[in-house]
Amino acid sequence: MFYVILESTRSALISILAHGLRSFLTTLGIVIGVASVIAVISLTQGMSAFIGESFSSLGSNSLTIQSHTPISEAMRGGRARLTPEDLELIERRAEGVASITPILYASRSSQVRYAAQTTFSQIMGTTYAYRDVAQAWVQTGRFIAESDNLTRRRVTVIGKKVREDLGLPENPVNEYVELGGEWFKIIGLLEAKGDVMGFDQDDIVLVPYSTMRSLAGNQSQIDIQIQLSLSEGVEVDDVTRQLTALLRNAHDLAPDEDDDFRINTAEQLMETFDTIINMVTLVIGGIVSISLLVGGIGIMNIMLVSVTERTREIGICKAIGAKRHHILAQFLIEAMLLSLLGGLIGLGLGYGLGTAISSSIDSFPPASIPIWAIALALGFSGFVGVLFGILPAAKAANLDPIDALRYE
Amino acid sequence: MKPDGKMNIADENLIRLNGIAKHYEMGSTLVRALDGISVEIQRGDWVSFIGSSGSGKSTFLNILGCLDRPTRGEYFLNGVYVEELGPNQLAEIRNREIGFIFQSFNLLPRATALGNVMQPLVYRRIGYRRRREMAREALDRVGLGDRVDHLPNQLSGGQRQRVAIARGLVTQPSILLADEPTGNLDSRTSADIMQLFDQLHSEGQTLILVTHEEDVAGLGDRVIELLDGKIIRDRRAGEPLH
Ligand SMILES: Nc1ncnc2c1ncn2[C@@H]1O[C@H](COP(=O)(O)OP(=O)(O)OP(=O)(O)O)[C@@H](O)[C@H]1O
Ligand SMILES: [Mg+2]
Repeated sequence: MFYVILESTRSALISILAHGLRSFLTTLGIVIGVASVIAVISLTQGMSAFIGESFSSLGSNSLTIQSHTPISEAMRGGRARLTPEDLELIERRAEGVASITPILYASRSSQVRYAAQTTFSQIMGTTYAYRDVAQAWVQTGRFIAESDNLTRRRVTVIGKKVREDLGLPENPVNEYVELGGEWFKIIGLLEAKGDVMGFDQDDIVLVPYSTMRSLAGNQSQIDIQIQLSLSEGVEVDDVTRQLTALLRNAHDLAPDEDDDFRINTAEQLMETFDTIINMVTLVIGGIVSISLLVGGIGIMNIMLVSVTERTREIGICKAIGAKRHHILAQFLIEAMLLSLLGGLIGLGLGYGLGTAISSSIDSFPPASIPIWAIALALGFSGFVGVLFGILPAAKAANLDPIDALRYE
Repeated sequence: MKPDGKMNIADENLIRLNGIAKHYEMGSTLVRALDGISVEIQRGDWVSFIGSSGSGKSTFLNILGCLDRPTRGEYFLNGVYVEELGPNQLAEIRNREIGFIFQSFNLLPRATALGNVMQPLVYRRIGYRRRREMAREALDRVGLGDRVDHLPNQLSGGQRQRVAIARGLVTQPSILLADEPTGNLDSRTSADIMQLFDQLHSEGQTLILVTHEEDVAGLGDRVIELLDGKIIRDRRAGEPLH
């Protein structure tokens, strides 16, 4: 068996090379099919690997609680809120929480000014615990300390993007910026984190939570976000259940009322993105496999032509002793090699295409092909070759030697 | 004596034909290409079949070469009843017992002289190196040792015929069959080829030739004349024609 395969491969290669251009055109369908599959997969897989990384940089075991006004409540003109009391409650009662921090977003203008430069940024009031919860480390200077909150100091920690936009010096510590009409002293510069799904994580300005509250003035009805990280070994679902119960109780919700808050986990978000990406991969993969099928039919067509063309040759081989399986193997292997060759070229082309696309679009993650996609592409194109090679090969193998020899 | 010891003692005749007929139905007319041929051929003989065009020579040779099946009759080759064999067994016989030299050479156009001669050995599961060696030897024997890497279309007619003969010889067959081996060659080249056959015959090779040329046929031990699918004369060479 091995001997037959070896010899058939040898002669198949000779024949494929003898008709270089025709072989290439024949296999073009497969090339295009595989190239598009691989391009799509390499892009989506690169994306999902990247998303995975980004989310782990967000702090993979962190939870965010936000107020969420159910539609029924909104119709009645109500507005859900998360209050500092809720924060206290969770701090006191919830178990499995490693660190917890409130985040108060600036409600009005988020203009930041340094000398003559102004920019708009996300200003957040938070505490020293934010550092652990959000995995936000300072590159120079220091983070917001507990004392900053206690004394409502006008200090700020800024992201890299803000520093660049404002034209601040390389080390911006001890410079002053104007936030909402008040001057704040820069005490730290955050390490760059890049962006997640279009949100630049370096475009932030952090100030002490209590300072932020005092700036919000006598506006008593504030709505905060709570971000917390879980202790080692604690199940996200357990904590989520616990928090839900606590907050529902605190907000006096009847059993038939919807939650007036949302608990988001980084993992949840990641799973959602993964699902979407897998769907996209699947759908496009499905569409593209049709083109592989079309490519296979092209191969069958050319193989049939080739059998007819080589009828005499087949007759000669049979006359000097070729058995059915010799001829069958030769044409089958030729079809498979053609198809595999197309698969290989398509693989390279698809990867090149994916890389080109991902590098031509700014901030798009680099393309990557998983091994399973390579195996799938080659396996599938080989299979297509065998599937569509069977008919021509059987036709060749079943030729009667004398008829084949007489063929003009 | 064949080196692989495939001699069959049960039948002293290498070939025994009994009432072989081949009929073609062409619409309403029946063409009797062969019409009851009975003949026995011994090992080591050189037999020439002669006859005018359309007398059934090629049809007969194709049946002898196990390429075609007769409509009727019995064919024993080396004691084996050929009619009972399936396509793969026939292929095996063609490979082991028979070297076929065609009227029109029938070389593989994309293989070199060496490749063509190596091809029958592929079906014998002989490794590449050994095949090469054997093919080179065969080409040397027919005097083409210096043209092994040429494609058929780079060779002259006589050279192609030599390649075809080498391909027939390389498997060390029981019989060498040749259909009009000089049909496409000039008289000078024909003489060379016939000399080669003579040499093979003197080495003990059984030869069956088909020709329509009297002087070519006369080189063999035995001349059998066909007409309209029947044997009309069977004589030893040297016997007078009339
Ligand atoms: N496949 C076929 N179908 C119908 N008739 C055939 C077929 N093959 C051969 N014949 C007929 O059989 C007869 C013998 O043909 P064959 O080829 O054996 O002649 P031949 O003696 O070899 O002639 P030549 O010397 O011209 O080669 C011819 O009348 C031919 O028409
Ligand atoms: Mg003829």
